[in-house]
Parts: sequence; structure tokens; C-alpha cells
Amino acid sequence: MKDIVSVDHLRVEFATDGGTVVGVEDVSFTIAPGETLCVVGESGSGKSVTSLALMRLVEFGGGTITKGALNFVRSDGSILDVAAASPQVMSRVRGNEIGMIFQEPMTALNPVFTIERQLTDGLMLHEGLSQSAATARAVELLKSVRIPEPERRLKQYPHELSGGMRQRVVIAMAMACEPKLLIADEPTTALDVTIQAEILALINRLKREKGMAVLFITHDMAVVAQMADRVVVMYRGRIVETGTVEQIFENPQEDYTKALLAAVPKLGDMKGKPAPERMRLIGDEAARAAVTAAKPRKPQVLLEVKNLTTRFPVKGGILRRTVAQVHAVEDVSFTLKVGETLALVGESGCGKSSCGRSILRLIEPTSGEVWIGGRDIGALNRHDLRRARAGMQMVFQDPFASLNPYRRLKDQVAEPIQNFGLASGAELKNRVLQLFDRVHLPRAFMNRFPHELSGGQRQRVAIARALAVNPKLIVADEAVSALDVSVQAQVLNLMMELQEDLGLSYLFISHDMAVVERVAHHVGVMYLGRIVEIGPRAAVFDNPTHPYTQSLLSAVPIADPRQRRFVDDLKFKPISSPIFPLGHQPAPSIYTEVAPGHHVLQA
Amino acid sequence: MTYVLNRLLSVILTLFLITLVTFAVTNILPGDVAMMIMGTQSNPEALEGLRQSLGLNDPLLVQYAHWVGGMVTGDWGNSLIFKKPIIELLGQKAVASSIIVVMSMVIALVLAVPLGVWAAVHRDKWQDNVSSSSALMGVSLPDFFWGIVMILVFARWLGWFPSSGFVDPSVNFWGTLQHAFLPSLALGLGLMAHLTRMTRSTMTGILSQEFIRVARAKGLAERTVIWRYALANAIGPVITIAGLQIGYLFGSIIVMESLFGYTGMGWLTYQALLNRDLPLIQYTVVVIAAVVMLTNLAVDLLYVVIDPRIRLG
Amino acid sequence: MKRFKTTKGLIGIVLLLLIALVAIVGPMVIPPDAATAMDMLARRAPPSLAHPFGTDQLGRDLMYRVILGTRTSMEIAVSAVLMSIVLGLPLGLISGYFGGFIDNVLMRLVDTLLAFPALLLALTISAVLGPNIQNTIIAIGVAFTPYLARIIRGEALRVAQMPYVEAARSSGTTDGMIMLRHVLPNILPAVIVQGTISLAFAILAEAGLSFLGLGTQPPAASWGLMIQASRDQLDIAPWTALVPGLAVALTVLGLNMFGDVLRDILDPRAK
Repeated sequence: MKDIVSVDHLRVEFATDGGTVVGVEDVSFTIAPGETLCVVGESGSGKSVTSLALMRLVEFGGGTITKGALNFVRSDGSILDVAAASPQVMSRVRGNEIGMIFQEPMTALNPVFTIERQLTDGLMLHEGLSQSAATARAVELLKSVRIPEPERRLKQYPHELSGGMRQRVVIAMAMACEPKLLIADEPTTALDVTIQAEILALINRLKREKGMAVLFITHDMAVVAQMADRVVVMYRGRIVETGTVEQIFENPQEDYTKALLAAVPKLGDMKGKPAPERMRLIGDEAARAAVTAAKPRKPQVLLEVKNLTTRFPVKGGILRRTVAQVHAVEDVSFTLKVGETLALVGESGCGKSSCGRSILRLIEPTSGEVWIGGRDIGALNRHDLRRARAGMQMVFQDPFASLNPYRRLKDQVAEPIQNFGLASGAELKNRVLQLFDRVHLPRAFMNRFPHELSGGQRQRVAIARALAVNPKLIVADEAVSALDVSVQAQVLNLMMELQEDLGLSYLFISHDMAVVERVAHHVGVMYLGRIVEIGPRAAVFDNPTHPYTQSLLSAVPIADPRQRRFVDDLKFKPISSPIFPLGHQPAPSIYTEVAPGHHVLQA
Repeated sequence: MTYVLNRLLSVILTLFLITLVTFAVTNILPGDVAMMIMGTQSNPEALEGLRQSLGLNDPLLVQYAHWVGGMVTGDWGNSLIFKKPIIELLGQKAVASSIIVVMSMVIALVLAVPLGVWAAVHRDKWQDNVSSSSALMGVSLPDFFWGIVMILVFARWLGWFPSSGFVDPSVNFWGTLQHAFLPSLALGLGLMAHLTRMTRSTMTGILSQEFIRVARAKGLAERTVIWRYALANAIGPVITIAGLQIGYLFGSIIVMESLFGYTGMGWLTYQALLNRDLPLIQYTVVVIAAVVMLTNLAVDLLYVVIDPRIRLG
Repeated sequence: MKRFKTTKGLIGIVLLLLIALVAIVGPMVIPPDAATAMDMLARRAPPSLAHPFGTDQLGRDLMYRVILGTRTSMEIAVSAVLMSIVLGLPLGLISGYFGGFIDNVLMRLVDTLLAFPALLLALTISAVLGPNIQNTIIAIGVAFTPYLARIIRGEALRVAQMPYVEAARSSGTTDGMIMLRHVLPNILPAVIVQGTISLAFAILAEAGLSFLGLGTQPPAASWGLMIQASRDQLDIAPWTALVPGLAVALTVLGLNMFGDVLRDILDPRAK
């Protein structure tokens, strides 16, 4: 069967203030009808540019196709070279024969137009339908993407829909004219894992039903394993390796591909292993050799949280009074021992971030107790709390925003030390040098500014700053979520190394189950502000008991093409909101112990 | 609904504060009001008598309460220089100034929006450079300079429009418009320059958003993408920005009306300030501030109507 | 496009340097009394070799007057803007950083002041205090403070929510230190850009005030005064209005150009 897309030696250049930058160079691949081709790479690999070139949308971003052909077989059988096509022809092809969906569902829809308008204008343009015929088709489309109450949705505006629903609408828009090729550029990256599973299942189902070809762009190897028939690996604008998905995962040829695969945490890898283990990265011999010795049992308790509750007021009404409350954290209790990691996992809005901040009293809890090293943190006055902060530090998610752009890195790492008057002068300088060494950053970086470093390097600086005053507890709030896969693995290894050497305890907040499996001794699953299941990592992962934990684990894609599983569409309930009226007294959290140390919330 | 009520409450509070600020500022005024009314050569006893009856010897707080009370009941007193009830004066002049303000806003918007969109669409190309440069020049010239140019060109050399004066609209509406045209044009040009820049930057912001890319990916013609999808999102912010300029306009009419001898609120305020007519100063300032604030409120409420995110939020 | 931006920036800087030079050095190098000397034989004379910019209705040389006026106008504008920064910066910083009740109260006050058109406020203050150079500075300075305070408050609010401020707090840094070390440097670009734009408006405001007779008073020379004096002889001696008018226009143009380019340079990096 003839290929539907054939890209030949594509080269795209961008004109920037600093001169001409090459986006992609010498890119060639094919896609057959009904096949899913995944283009995978880290940031800067050029994967997005490739897809935009196929739609001739690069020009709107300042790019030019300077070389190569992009051949596409149209519905009438003729071959069109997209690279040479006129704007009029492209207008007829886009949305009609090639559909495209993008990454951000929150901004992909025009905020001031109704859903109906946005679904029908493409239909009316390409297929010449009347308004009423187009509206009828729109209802059908919404049904095909399994949106409930489609007629009502048509009259609504985008902000009235959730992220997952908006993405479904975007898919419906792309599918409206039954295109032969669907380009999906990181369509699930901004979505929660359960919603991601649904959207992936949807795309797969539509592909099978319509016999569509799919060009799927992602940075997530697990998603690639789930979706791809064939894979193209890109790095710095060039293709590194091409092959079937089995070939790439089981028999990678190129070094970059091997390194990339080694850095991907695979759900299920830790089965049977007693303790967290560093990732076996290529080139990191120390990590490959290290096998974490099982620590002597029963170290003492460092952090004890009892019935922690944090609620935020919702203001409204005429006099801006409090009309309702967001129950961000509701009756949460757990303990964390010295030298161990407790992971708090959950999807967006579950309260894990608020929980971490409440423990450090960066936001004030409503009630409950927090004991660190035998001290009641909640009872401290402002002055003592400030002093106590030396023992508990935080690493934030955004490596750029957590550093002051106008201060040198050495000053920012030194700041905590100066605040507590722990060292000055030569001794201070020495300490900062040691910290930079500890996080494996070259000493030359000390005098630089944040914008001169990459994301991973900045996160190391943030870790160095957190270590500066020898804390016992570090709260890592999605500390690796914003990093590329290979960098993420390095930073995780660093964190585990520091834990072994310094006896640090981590409260590791994350949404990524595969990462958590690697790094945690104990795991707590959060939903709507409560812990629904908590226990040793092996217990929670091997024997998930609470229904939410089970659905969460079933939604996580596994980075192994031989272990594909497609969930039934619409299996997951939409995530409800934890907003309750004033005066609502929620029931306390009561747990059943299903195994030693493994607790499950009762319904 | 509660949003509207919230804003109304806010407005009442601000009106109250406006009167407070006006009273505070104008009471540092040196000079004796009584002497201004009766002349400096008058009998000291008669002056003292007038001061008593005007309440000028009372503590400030009492004077303030008295003044606000009078304002609320409609007893606004008389102007010292015009010897007429202030309410009457303000009423006439307010209409005159409104005509100018509305005309200049219309002129400015009608020219600025298409120009700004055009510049944004052809961003960084010659069309953008030309339009931005002209806008830059327009913003850099003082309003009254434009006024002088208008007088020279249209009134003196070409003789198309009168160079000064004002005609009562109930007497001769066409005449009113003729007299109002040049000042409005002068104000409108300066305003247009500013609004063009604002429209351009709003549009470039919108054009870089994801839904524009999605619209193009659907195969919609570029024309539709710009003039329907993008502009629909730009109208709200542009109207808000334009609305905020009303405050600036009310300041500019003080100079412009004096330049053109156009007897509106601005001219009245200027006369009051020049001649230290305290009661008139107080009322013109309060009224202008109140009008500006109410206009801002109207713009906010209009925005609620336009933007579905707030309407249904 | 970068070329255009650089050209724009260059022209702006050149204009500004020129004006600054004239303002600072000008009055020192021209002969004393040159601006007030009245050449009765050459009243309302068009530009010539003896008087390169012409003369006004009293026979005074316009070039010397405009040079003197440059210093006056710039002095007033710069002082007024500095005053508005000195008043507005602490206001906006505290309001934006602490938020809550303080923010509500302070911004309520600022919003009230914003309801008064800046020119009206400046005119009123000037009339009430008695117009002279000093009071003009105070009038314009006070009138501009609310705008600056609002903008600074917005920036302070944005920065206060950045993770690096939260990180500093969790590192044990006190509020005062955070404002000094972290917030201030990050709002400074906005302050500089806004200051430049305010300077342009201050020059226009001074011109307007003097034009109405409520700014600088004779015998001092300022651009606004010169334009006002030219009103009666527009037909016969238009250069009496054009010379000061162009001076204003060029300065404001230079400031706007420079301000635009400054904004493009400073903002993207901070964001």
C-alpha cells in the first residue's frame, strides 16, 4: 500500500535576532495509511517543527522551508508537495484532509466563541454545509468523542468545559471533515494521567474506525510504547534512529536512543526490589554499580503529621465575604522516618502541593499537628519558626522561576547560610564551593546568572541552596516534572545519592507514578485532599486496594510495547472539586489496615 | 449580578472620597473668599459678617459636612465670578464638553482600530514601521500644538471651520458641530496615535495565542482568522483602554477649549482656577472626577457584557 | 526588524543626549542676558543670520530663549518624575508585596486620585499653591504619583508570587530583606521604563500648565510660556510657536523612542 505521507530531506530555518537558526535538518520519513508514527525527542529536538512544516504553519512562526519535499497523497489520489503548495491549496487541505491537535487544551479554543461556532465553521467552509446541517454534524461529532449532553455543550463557551473535555472538542474539530492524516502534537502532555489514558484510547479508536494515519509527537517514551507502530527518534533537529516500536525498545542501535531509554522509569521495574534504586544511566558508572543496600530497619521518626487540614476561603457576594471553602487538605496523617522518602501522588487539585506547603507553614494550616524532629511546628511563633526553617527546606517545580534572575548563583546559594548567621567570609565561600561540588556543578558556575544555565543545572542550584543549612527534611514539590527525561533521571540519581550520603528525608510530591516507584520507600495516594491509600511502595504498587489507586495505576502508560493496554473510553469519573459550603463538616478519615503498614481509606 | 452590585457600592465609596480629596486640596487656597466677593476695600465688619454667614469661620469638618450636604440636596450655590447658580453653569457647559469628548473618541477609534490591526498583521514589516513611526510622532506632540496647527490650516488658511466660539445646540445644531469639529479633531489625532499603538500590541498578543494556530489548522482563510477570530478577542481590551483615556481627555479639554474659546467644562474650570473662584473650582473638579469615574464604571460593565468569561464566569 | 529597533533606539538616544547637553551646558555658554535682551528694531523677525530662530514680539532672540527654556523645562520634568517615584515606589512596593488589607486601603486611595485627570489635578494644585517653578514641580509630581504607584504595585504583586520569593522566605529571609534583595531588583526595569514615559508626559504637562499661565511665570523662560506668548501672532510670526513646539516634540519623541526600546530590552528577560 502506498505511503500517505513521504517526507524527504526536510530542512527548516528560522530567522532570529542572532542570525539564522536551523530548526530541522535532513529529516526523512514515511507514514502508511492506518499507521501511527511517533516522533519522539526532548526539548529542542525539532519534533514540533516537523509537524508544523507538514501543515505549512511554520511560516506563521517565522520559519522557512529551505529544502526538501513534503509529499502528501490527497483524497483524489494526486500527490501534493506541501512545501511548494500555494496558500489557497493549503487552506483547502488543512482541517479537511489533514487535521491537527495541539498541546494546550486550555488555550486551543477561542474564548469568545461558542463551541457550536467553532465546530461548524470548518464544516461549512470545506464541505459547503448550511448552518443547520453543520450543527447536526457537530452533534454527531461530539457524540463520537463521547462528550455527554452534546446539544447543551454546543451552546457553551470554552471556559465552561474542563481541560479533558476541551481536548475532546479539539479532536472533534480536527476529525470534522474526516481527514486521512491526523497530526497530534503532544496532545496529552498537559492533562492528568487518567484523562490522558482516555484521550489516547479515543485517538486509537478513531484511528481504527476511520483507517486514519496518525503522526503522534511526544517526549514521553511510555506513551510511545502505547501508541506507536513505528518510531522516529529526533535529537537537535536531526533524525537519530527509525524503526518499528519493538525494534526501538528492544534493540536500539544508536547511543542516543539507548541513553534515552535508560533514562525512562518504567512502571513495574521495581517489582520485588526492597528499596529505591538509582537509574542505570549510560555513562554514569557509579549509578550502574550502586545497589542500594537495604537500610537497617526502624530508624527514628523525623516528621509526624496528624490530622492536618488546610482550607482556603472562597470570596464572593456583595461584601466579598467568605461564601465557601476549598478543602485543599483534609484530615491528613502520616509519618516519615529519617533517611527515607515518602511520596505523595495524585492528580491536579488533589492537595499534594498544599500539603507540602502546609507542613512547612508556607501556607497556614487550618488545624492539625506537624511535628518535625520532636518539635511542634504549628506552635512556633514567627521568630522561632524562622529559625526552625533551617531544618526543613523546599525545592520547587519551575527551575527558572525559583531563582532570582538578577542575583548571582553563589549569592543565592549562600543566602540561607547568611540568614541564620552560620558562616561568613572565607568560611562562607568555602561552604558554597562545597555545595556546588556536591551537586556536581562546575565551580565556574558560581558567578553566573540563572539565565545562563539549562533547566537541569538550575534545579541542581536549587538543590544546593536547599542543602546549604543542612536540613533534615526536604520537600520536593514536583521537582523533576519540568525537566527533560534524561535530565530528570540525572537529578533523581543526585537526590538518591544525597539521601544515602547525608541521611536526608524527602517528602516527594509528584504526579508521575513511574518516577515515584523508583524513588520512594513509602507512597501516599491523595484524592480530593485526603490520603486514600498509604503504605510501603511495594504494597501500594503490587496490591492497590482503594478503587482510586487502582484506576490511577491502570491509567499509567507502561514503557514497554509488549504490555499495551487500552482502557475503555469514559472509564474514569471526572475529577470533582473539593469546594464545600461554609460550615460543612466533613467526616474524619478512617483507615483499614489491609497489611502491616498498608492503610486504605474507608468509603 | 453581584458583580454589578459590588461595583456600585465601590462607586459610592469612591465618590465620597473624591469629595474629600477635592475639599482637602482646595482648602489650602490662600486668599479670603469674602474679600473676593465684596472687594478688598470693603468694611471689615461687613466682611466678617459675610464670613460668618458663609460659614468660613467654622471648623473644617463642619464646612465639609455643610458642603457635602448642599451637594446632595442640590443647593450648589453661586459662582463668584459669573454671579450665577453653579448648577446652571455646569449644566450648559457639560453638554458642550460631552460633544467634544464623544466626537474625539469616535474619530480616534474609527482610525486607530483598523490601523492598529493592519500594523499587527504585518508585524515587523514596512507597514508596521510606517504606522508605528507615525503613531510615535503623534503621541509626542502636545495636544494644543495640534490645536494650533488646526487653527492655522483649517480656520485661517482654508477657512473651512470657525476658529473659536461655541453655539448652543438647541439653537443651531449644525453650528455646534462646526465649532466642535476642530477641537475634536485636534484631540482625536493625539488620542488616535495612542490607541493605534495599544491596538497593535493587543492584537500581536492575541495573534500569538494557541487558538489562532488552531483556527489556521482548520483551514480557515487568513482574512477570517484576523478579522473574526482575533478581532473578536481584541475589542474588549481595546474598548477598556479607550475608556480609560476618557480621564485623560477631560484633562486635555481644559487646554483645548481655552485655545479655541469653546465655552465648555474645561474652559469653565480654567476660568475658575485663574480667578480663584473657590466654590466653582470645587464643583467643577468634583463633577469632572465623578464623570470620569462613572465612565470607567460604564466601560467595566460593558466589558462584562462583551466577554462571556465574565458574564458566565 | 532588529535594525529598525536599533535605529529607533539610536535616534532616541541621540535626541536625548542633545537635549541634555543643551539643558546643562547651554545656559552656561550663551552670553548673559541674551535671552532677555530686546532688539526693538527686529521684533517678530523671521529666522536670519543675526537671529537663527527669529525673534518674538518683544524682539528677544528665540534661539537663546529656547536654550534657556530647555533647562527650565527639563529641570521641572526631571524633578517632578523623581518626586513621583520617591512617593510612589514605597507605596506600590508595600501595597503589592503585603497585599490584603493594606493593599485594599492604599489602592482605594490611589484609585480615587486616578479619577482626577492628571492635568486637572496638577492645575488645581498649582493654582491653589500659587504658580511658580517649585509649585509646578510639586503639582506635576503629586499628579503623577498615583499612576506610578499603580504600576509598581502591579509589578510588586507579580514578583511577590514568584517561587524565588517563596524560596527566600523558606530560607529564612525576613520580609524587609526580601523586598530589598529580591523584589526591588525585579521591579526596577518597570520603574525605569515607566519613569522614561512619565518624563515625556511631564514635559507635556509643564508645557500645558505654562501655556495656561499656571506653570512657570515670566520672566523665566520655558517652552510652554513661549507657545503661549506666540498665540497672538500666529498669522504673522508662526515661528514663534514652531520653535518651542518643535523643541517639545523632539524631546518627547526622543523619550518615547528610547522608552520603547528600553521596554523591549528590559521586559522579555525579566519574564
